[in-house]
Amino acid sequence: MSDAVPLTTDRPGQVASVTPPARGRSRRLSDRKLAVAFIAPALLLLLAMSVFPLLWALYLSFTDYSATRGGSGSFVWFENYTAVLTSAQVHLRAVTTLIYVVGAVVLQTVLGFSIAYLISRRTHGRGLLTTLFLIPMMLSPVVVGLFWRFMLDAQFGVVNSMLGSLGLEQVEWLTRQRMALASLIMVDTWQWTPFIMLIALAGLTAVPKYLYEAASIDRASEWFRFRTITLPLVWPLLLIAVLFRAIEAFRLFDLVYILTSGGPGVSTETLSFHVYKVAFLGFNTGTASAYGILMVLVVIVLTQLYLRYLNKLKED
Amino acid sequence: MLLVGATMTACSGGEDDAAQVSAPKAPATIPELTTDPVTLSFVWFEWPPAQALEKFANEEYKKVRPNATIKVNTVPNANWHDAMFTQFAARKTDFDIAILDSQHIGEAVTNGNILDLTDFVKKNIDVNAYDPYLLAAYGQFPQAETGKRDENASLYGLPLLGDTWTMIYRKDLIGDQPPQTWDEMISAAQKCQTDHPGVSGLAFHQANGSDAAAVTYNTVNGVYGGNLWDAKAKKIEGVLNDAAGQEAMDVLVNKMKPLTAKGSGNWFIDEVNAAVAQGKACIAFNWIAASGGLLDPKQSTLGKSKEEILGKLGFATLPKQKTDLVPLGGMGMHVSAYSPAANQAEALNFMKWFEQADVQKKWAAAGGVPSRTDAIQSPEFLNAGPFNQVYADSVPRMRDMWNVPQYARLVDIENTGVNAALNGAKKPSDALNDIAREQQAVLDSSGKKGGGGL
Repeated sequence: MSDAVPLTTDRPGQVASVTPPARGRSRRLSDRKLAVAFIAPALLLLLAMSVFPLLWALYLSFTDYSATRGGSGSFVWFENYTAVLTSAQVHLRAVTTLIYVVGAVVLQTVLGFSIAYLISRRTHGRGLLTTLFLIPMMLSPVVVGLFWRFMLDAQFGVVNSMLGSLGLEQVEWLTRQRMALASLIMVDTWQWTPFIMLIALAGLTAVPKYLYEAASIDRASEWFRFRTITLPLVWPLLLIAVLFRAIEAFRLFDLVYILTSGGPGVSTETLSFHVYKVAFLGFNTGTASAYGILMVLVVIVLTQLYLRYLNKLKED
Repeated sequence: MLLVGATMTACSGGEDDAAQVSAPKAPATIPELTTDPVTLSFVWFEWPPAQALEKFANEEYKKVRPNATIKVNTVPNANWHDAMFTQFAARKTDFDIAILDSQHIGEAVTNGNILDLTDFVKKNIDVNAYDPYLLAAYGQFPQAETGKRDENASLYGLPLLGDTWTMIYRKDLIGDQPPQTWDEMISAAQKCQTDHPGVSGLAFHQANGSDAAAVTYNTVNGVYGGNLWDAKAKKIEGVLNDAAGQEAMDVLVNKMKPLTAKGSGNWFIDEVNAAVAQGKACIAFNWIAASGGLLDPKQSTLGKSKEEILGKLGFATLPKQKTDLVPLGGMGMHVSAYSPAANQAEALNFMKWFEQADVQKKWAAAGGVPSRTDAIQSPEFLNAGPFNQVYADSVPRMRDMWNVPQYARLVDIENTGVNAALNGAKKPSDALNDIAREQQAVLDSSGKKGGGGL
């Protein structure tokens, strides 16, 4: 049995030498080190900015720590969690958030899919239309909130001015209980419908043409083709978009802060806005941490259930 | 974001536990000042006095300290408390002087965020030059009794800008003489609104951000003989919502609100000024320090010159009813406990310089509202704006809110409650009872373990 012939050499033109096994191991180790070196910065950043704060917040959630009062805070175990879960104030914000999430996501899904469907049927100007529709999504929510606040102002806003020129009554967009929440949903829909549209458009574009051709040969109606080809194939992708939007809507803060400050009264205060108040008005850091952890848990549980449904859908 | 923020404040908090027992003391004598270039940073909210202060201080203070530059950093009004106290919580501030609202002092002192200036004031400031209540309101903790100053109490700040509400009325629509009582004012507004379609009778703060709606209710509450609380017994429930308090809420929601513009339920300083400047309100209420822009022809439809505008606009002290109380506004200067020593020394030097009689008069002429009695009564101040006489006349009538560590939560409860009543989200009496109950719960739960803040 002869020694293994090396296939490579460090220097071209030089006679290849036998590579000892030990050196091979060291080279593999070196690769691993290199990999670790590449991953380490991102990993450290993730640990520092996400994992450590999460664990620290988890620890604080069991204490009565206050950021302004200082000190380490004493352990109160599950008292913060019990207080959050049994608080009528929290229940009220949960209902507001639920109405908002359902309203905004349903509206965005219907509109986003409709726009994507219409765009997908066009052959000319598709790129331009898509780009134009995407503009709202590229703006900062704070900027969006500010200019909608100006536009929806009952006295000085352009929307009421236009309604007035049409002979219609002025609407109190931001200062009436139900209308304020509807305005939030409307502004969020204006900004985030393009996100659903984009994903739906990707799904629609990926539907194989031959299925439609086969359906045409069978003289299937437009509605039949939509119901039996388009929708089933786009549906899983659309559900992922809905998931992202639902998570985003669940933690809505910026639009509320800018547009209504949670008003009138507390009628548009979402859970995130309430956490902010608990955390930074009274600096009840322990309670706010428990509140935040519970919100994360709700999102994780609902997402898991949703993903299971999605996987089941794919398997079927 | 919240988690990262909580971690940052929590981690930094652990290092300085010992420093949190009480506010550190400022030296009685100003330490030696640096000869190197130094930037003295303030933090305030965005409004005209902030720009006026930076301009004035850089022009005048540089004459005595050429190496010093004054920077007034501003944040939106709604972020003002958070911008200061999140930095205090991190035990590191990018400002040397915090311009605190009078009601913020309790929170800052209790947490050891600002310097105790008592010894410094004794040695460097002529306290007799001030109206005692103004000096107390912008610096004293525990809070002074309305109209008085406790000379044995510690001082943590010095006045920067005095302020109160002025009644702004349309002389061309309701006559030259301002209404003298609250009832007369409502009647005049009602008549004006009826006689002039498109012009609303009243404009005032109703927003649920900052302290907007709360100050409005507190003002009416004071005028109708109500009290915000029993400070000694720490009692709000049964005091705020007593008969006088309920009458005040009824007047505000059922008599005043119907005279305001549709959709004005989120108005604050700027919106009220805009309504006046565009000729859309017969009578309005606003802070004096924010009223300067009303005389600017570029911002107004009431006239092409200041004189023409003043021919239509009048400024008066608030009407009386059962009492003559008016809200105390304005802010004091407070030295950050976390500012570098050289900057703290510069801050103390600035405050000593700023509180001198001649500087206060110059500040008055530059658009500021002084607190020294001699400056308030000076021609420089009284002639600087048509509303300055209103301030001078209002000083003995002022009443402040609660200056306690729980202020931010108390004012939020009141703001949201009054805003809900003004916008029809709650019945007025229910809103007031809820405010009193929730505020009482905040005061009662100050030592509670766990679940605080909900």
